[in-house]
Amino acid sequence: MIRPLRARRRTPGATLLSYIGLIALFALISVFSPGFADPNHITTLLIVAAFTGIAAIGQTWVIIGGGIDLSVPWTLNCAAVMLTALARGQDGMLVWIIPLILLGGVLVGVVNGVGIAILRVSPIVMTLSTNIVLQGLLFIATKGFPPPPTPRAVVWLATGRMGPIPVILVLWALLAVTVVLIERRTSFGRYLYAVGTSPTVATFSGVPTARTTIATYAVSGAGAALAGILLDGYARQSYLGMGDPYLFTTIAAVAIGGASILGGSGSYLGTIAGALILTELTGLLPILKLESGYLSVIYGVVILLTVALAAPTTQRLIARLLARPDAASAIVSD
Amino acid sequence: MSSIQAAVRQAPVWVPPLVVLVVMLVVIESLRPGSLAMSRLAIEASEAMTLILIATGQTIVVLRGGIDLSLGGTLSLATAIAATRADVSFGELLPWLFVIIALGALIGALNGALVSALQLQPFVVTLATWSIVSGFALIILPINKASVPAAWFEAGNAKVLGFLPVPILLLFLLLLWWAWFRRTRLAYRIRAAGSDERGAFLNRVSLTRTNVVSYGLAGCLAAGGGFFFSTQTGSGSPVVGSQFILPSIAAVVIGGTNLAGGRGGVTGTVIGALILNLIGDLIFLIGLSSYWQQVASGIILIGVVLLAPLLRMASEPSGGDG
Repeated sequence: MIRPLRARRRTPGATLLSYIGLIALFALISVFSPGFADPNHITTLLIVAAFTGIAAIGQTWVIIGGGIDLSVPWTLNCAAVMLTALARGQDGMLVWIIPLILLGGVLVGVVNGVGIAILRVSPIVMTLSTNIVLQGLLFIATKGFPPPPTPRAVVWLATGRMGPIPVILVLWALLAVTVVLIERRTSFGRYLYAVGTSPTVATFSGVPTARTTIATYAVSGAGAALAGILLDGYARQSYLGMGDPYLFTTIAAVAIGGASILGGSGSYLGTIAGALILTELTGLLPILKLESGYLSVIYGVVILLTVALAAPTTQRLIARLLARPDAASAIVSD
Repeated sequence: MSSIQAAVRQAPVWVPPLVVLVVMLVVIESLRPGSLAMSRLAIEASEAMTLILIATGQTIVVLRGGIDLSLGGTLSLATAIAATRADVSFGELLPWLFVIIALGALIGALNGALVSALQLQPFVVTLATWSIVSGFALIILPINKASVPAAWFEAGNAKVLGFLPVPILLLFLLLLWWAWFRRTRLAYRIRAAGSDERGAFLNRVSLTRTNVVSYGLAGCLAAGGGFFFSTQTGSGSPVVGSQFILPSIAAVVIGGTNLAGGRGGVTGTVIGALILNLIGDLIFLIGLSSYWQQVASGIILIGVVLLAPLLRMASEPSGGDG
């Protein structure tokens, strides 16, 4: 199946739709729960969304590039545990510990990317394997001992404020601007959409397909590692299993953001809306007095609904429905 | 020379893994004499049975050209239901087993119907249903719980006719079922649709029906696996299933089934699951942490996926399935 290279590079419609959904959902919840629209609560929502948002940077690119990264949970968890274990509660060494851990995340991503782009292992098998290998290695390394508490500098990164603005939101905003600029203004961005639309056409057009794919997974590893570090600061500790929710939330955020799971379309701008919508839904649970199991159900339903909307069958159905009035008016004008 | 080559070509895909399994059994026997005794093998089969059941389900989906990530969720859901039925007596056991398996079939059939109706990649659909089903497992049973009725626990560890352990009997029945099922028209259709959807469709194989049936069977088997897990351990867990997703795929691949669909079978998968379980034994015997088993299963999966095309090339054009 060869699609033209420049088709559906960006989908402003889908991104716009997700922001409309975000605002509509916010208004709806605010009506039933007055405290929801309180500025302090909005700040809290944004901070919680930042973790998913940062972890989903790479997932966005991987999915635009036509793959999927199932290794986010334990890449995140490994980074989180490594940070507290290496820093031993001290700030002094963080200058080289944080870059080292981010580099570790990149390395995990490169292993994924090489397996997928060069050795031709399917993304599901490759990243699922990396995930379980990392999980095993982390259990072996920690031997069940609780790691030391998070260094204070990292706590500041996740919970501190620069004036009235939380540090993590500044960080997220900077990352978001960079990511969106790379998507839109660099040759890497163009390569990314080309590879996701059609690897074959991309290769024949001189796009460095393998390098682009490896880069997306490397970014995913680094993003997951950064999210792990920040989550350490937020929880003031690291623990085994802290990355588990991020498998579904990152994929759901990307899907809600309007990216096609088949690759070739979507943008980080959409993913940001996706992360915010997911956080709003999380805020809905205590209001409706539901247990956390429902969250998992909601994530699944949301992924299913968004991919169903973009599915070939649904698209054909929509196209037919839209075409009908045209056909009718054509007959009338004749 | 040519007759040997021909024999290699005609050999079912499960022969190489069987050789590996035998070698591993010999190594383990030499490290720990008495490992080949019936009682010890029964323990081995019992430990591997949950994986064997879920991996058998995965095999059928893979033969259809798909992959089912939600099987882990179905397994968790089955253990959750089992663990919350503490007041059920031995007589009510069979109806509950029926309910659990029917639920698994329903979830699977929904998966298959969604994959067909939406024309989406199976992994996306089953990823979403994985989240949904494990959510329901968490709602039914929020924490790990060891309260499966004693009668169930006894049933899982009983011996039929006084000498045949239940797991060995189950294993035997499973292989017998496969020996029958793989020759049915339905199995041929599933394979045909898995190896060439377009060709199968042109030959009037219903793609939707084969999808619904194969995912439905997989759901049944995963639910059965969950039920077996709870009878073996006497407990339920809303999250245990996630631990079985990768091994279920690994067992399929080690057993010689092609992830691209169409070729392979349950016999190989059973051997693959036993191999994965024996790796756990070996790791224990060497004195390493049991978590190395996870590391090993991940690396072996990648290794076999990388090596399989080479092996296939060496024996092309290849013969039998099994």
